[in-house]
Amino acid sequence: MQGWAGKILDIDLSSGSIQTVPLDMEMARLFLGGRGLGARLLWDLVGPEVEPLSPENVLIFTTGPITASASQTSNRFNVSSKSPLTGTILHANSGGWWGMQFKRTGYDVLIVRGKAETPVMIEITPEGTAVKDASHLWGKTVFETTEALGQSRNKRNVLCIGPAGENLVRIAAIMNDKERSLARGGPGAVMGSKNLKAIVVEGKEKNEPEDKEQFKFLSYETGKLLKASPLTSQALPEFGTAVVMNVVNEIGALPTRNFQQSQFEGADDISGEAITDNILVKKQACWACPIACTRITKTTSGKEGEGPEFESSWAFGAQCGIDDLEVITEANYLCNDLGLDTISMGNTVGCAMELAEKGLVDADLGFGRADRLHDLIRDTAYRRGLGDEMAEGSYRLAAKYGAPELSMTVKKLELPAYDPRGMQGQGLVYATSNRGACHETGNMLGPEVLALPRLLDRFATQGKAGIVSVHQHSAAVIDSLVYCKFANMAVAEEFFARVLTAVTGIPYTADDLMIVGERVWTLERLYNLREGFTQADDTLPDRLLNEPVSDGPSKGHTARLAPMLEEYYAFRGWDKNGVPKPEKLRELGLDNLK
Amino acid sequence: MIDQSLYEEFRDIGRDIFVTGLTSSHGGNMSVRVGDKIIIKRRGAQFGRLKRTDFVETSFRGKDSGIIRASTELIVHRAIYEKTSALAVVHAHPRTAIVLSLSRDEIIPIDNEGSYLLRKIPVVTVEMASGSKEMAEKVSEALRGYKIVMQRGHGCFAIGQTLEEAYHWVSALEEVCDIILEHKLMGEPLIEYRKHSESYKNW
Repeated sequence: MQGWAGKILDIDLSSGSIQTVPLDMEMARLFLGGRGLGARLLWDLVGPEVEPLSPENVLIFTTGPITASASQTSNRFNVSSKSPLTGTILHANSGGWWGMQFKRTGYDVLIVRGKAETPVMIEITPEGTAVKDASHLWGKTVFETTEALGQSRNKRNVLCIGPAGENLVRIAAIMNDKERSLARGGPGAVMGSKNLKAIVVEGKEKNEPEDKEQFKFLSYETGKLLKASPLTSQALPEFGTAVVMNVVNEIGALPTRNFQQSQFEGADDISGEAITDNILVKKQACWACPIACTRITKTTSGKEGEGPEFESSWAFGAQCGIDDLEVITEANYLCNDLGLDTISMGNTVGCAMELAEKGLVDADLGFGRADRLHDLIRDTAYRRGLGDEMAEGSYRLAAKYGAPELSMTVKKLELPAYDPRGMQGQGLVYATSNRGACHETGNMLGPEVLALPRLLDRFATQGKAGIVSVHQHSAAVIDSLVYCKFANMAVAEEFFARVLTAVTGIPYTADDLMIVGERVWTLERLYNLREGFTQADDTLPDRLLNEPVSDGPSKGHTARLAPMLEEYYAFRGWDKNGVPKPEKLRELGLDNLK
Repeated sequence: MIDQSLYEEFRDIGRDIFVTGLTSSHGGNMSVRVGDKIIIKRRGAQFGRLKRTDFVETSFRGKDSGIIRASTELIVHRAIYEKTSALAVVHAHPRTAIVLSLSRDEIIPIDNEGSYLLRKIPVVTVEMASGSKEMAEKVSEALRGYKIVMQRGHGCFAIGQTLEEAYHWVSALEEVCDIILEHKLMGEPLIEYRKHSESYKNW
C-alpha cells in the first residue's frame, strides 16, 4: 500500500457478518483518515435517532495515510462514535503499537456494528478475521486481558476494555497495548454495550512511500527539527508531559480544587521533575517515535506501570487538592487497569469532593483526601455506592445533587488542566470543541504559554479567534493523518503535506491540509447541530465566566468568552447562531451531505 | 477597532522593519486578520512611526469604504487571506533579496539557519508590479505552499499566525540573501556541508 490500503473491514456483531468493502478514495482524499474519515463515515451511519449505548451506535477505528509509514510518530489511530457522556460526536486517538499493527493487516478502517449476545473478541491476522468467544475474559482487568491475549509489541497487539467499559461507565476508555488509551467521551462504554471485550491484530503488510527518496529526505529533515526543538529533544524526553506542571502553575493557570483556585501549592510535588527524581524507572517511546515522552514508573509499594502524564497528575493532584505523587501514580495505574479516562475521573472526584464539602452529598470526602482516591476509582469502575453516580460523569453527578454548576464541563465533558481565566484563548478552545471541553483539539498552550510558534498575550482576546481556529484545523489534520501533536510542536504542516505527498503520490500543500482540517471541523459541527446542539452549548462553566481568580498572576481575571465567540463565528463564516453558512459549506464541499 | 495589545505589535514590528532596512520610510505594508475583518496599515503611513490612527479596518471579502485609506496592496492581502490559513501578512522591500530576484527563479539558502527556516523561496514575476489582480493571484497561490515568496524586482510577502512570525521570515530572507551575495562576491567554491542539500531544490 502507498498511504491507503483501500479497504474497510465491516463487522456486525448482531448478525456475525464480516465483510471487506472498498474505501471510497474520493472520501479518503477529502478527509484523509483518522478523525476526519471517522467523522465522515459516522455522519452516514449514526443519526440523531440513535442512542449511544444501543446496538445501532457504531465504533469506527481508523488509521491515516501515514500510519505505519515509519515517518516520525506515525503510530497513532483514532476511534469515532457517538458519545454516551456528551451526546456529541466522539473522537479519541491513541499511540503505542496497535494502530501501526492494524494498518499492517491491510485495512484502513474497522467498523463495528450491532451487539453480540455474549462477550466476544475480534481477531484479525494474516490468516483471516474471526469473532471469537470472550466469556472467559469478561470481568478481567485491562492488564489481565492484554496478557491473556498474548500482547507482543511488534507482532501482536491487543486493544480492550476493562471493567469500567463492561459496566457502561460513561467515562470509560478503550485501552491498547496495555496502557495507552482512547479515553475521552466514553468509548469504552460503547464497546462494552456491544459485548466486545477486545480486538487483537497481527499484520504483515507495509505502508511504503511512493517517492522513497523524498520520504527519506523528509524523515531526515524532520529528525533535525525534532532534535532542534528543546521541547521534543529535551523537555519531553527528560521529564515527560508533566514538564509543563510547574510552568502552568507559575502563570496562575493550573486549576486547583475543582477550579476554585488557579495555583496549587503542591504543584512541585506532582511535577515532571518530581516524577523524574522519585519514581521514574525508564522512559519509553511509541512505535517510530524519537521523542519518548512515556514514563515507566514504580512506587515504593512495588507497583509499576506507565505514567502519570501531565493531565492525569493534575486531575488526581491539583484538581483534588492531593500532593502525594505515589497515590496519584497508583490512581493512574488503577485507571489504566480498569479502563477509565483519567481526566474525567479526576474531575469527577474533584466535583464529588466539592459537593461533599458544601454538604450537598453525604460522604466522607473532601479536598486533599488521598486516602479515599483509590476506592472512589474502583467504586466508579464497578458502579458501587457513590461510585455508581460518579460513573455517570461529573455533570450528571452534580445535577443529581442540585448543583450542576459545580461540574467543570463543556457539553458534559470534563475540562483539562488549564484554567481559561489565565489563558483566554484556551477558554475559546474548550467552549467550541466539538467533543466537549478538550485541549487536544486546538491547544493554546503553545502560543499562550510556550511561545510556539510565537508568544501571545494570554489575557488578550482580540485576534484570538483566528489563531484558535487555525489551531483547531491543524489539530484536526494531525488527527486525520494520524500524527502525534507533540511532533507538531517542532514540525509544521508544510512538512506533513510533503510527507503525505511522498507517501501517497498525490500532491498536497500545507494549505490543502488546512482546508482538510476546516472541513473536518465543520463536519463535526454539523454533526452536533444535527444532534440538537446549539450556540448555547458553546460556553464555559459559570465559575469561569463569573468568578474572578482570587490570587496569583491571573488575579482578577474571568474568562471573557463573549467577544471571542462573536469573532470566532465571523472568522469561520458561520452565522451569529454558530451555524455554518451555505457558502462556507459549498467552499468546503460539504453542501451535498445527506 | 484595534486594541492596545495589537497596536503595540504593529508599531514595534513596523519600527523594526524600517530600522533594519527592510523597507524605505513609506514602502511596504502589513495586516492581520481579525474575525471577518482585516486590519491593515493605511496607505502612506510611515513604517517606523505608526500611530493608532494609521490603521484601517476593512472587510475580509466584501466591499466597504475602508479601501479608500487602505494600502495599495490590499487586494493582495485579501487574496492571501482568502487562499491560505494566514492570520498576518508582512510585505517589505528587502534590498539584497530584490537584487537576487532579478536573476533567479528561486532563492535557495546556503547557510544553516536559512536552510532550517526557509529551505527555498520561490520568485514570481508579474507584469503590473503593484496592487494588481495578477499579482494577487500569483503571490497568494505561491503562499499556499511556502511561508514567504519574492516578487521579482519588487519585494517579498510573508505570512504567519502573527505579525511577529511573518516578520521573522522577512528578516531571515534578507539574511539568507546577504550571505548568498557575499559568498558570490568572495568568488570561492561552496563546500557543501548539508546532507540531502540537493533536495532543497524540490522543496
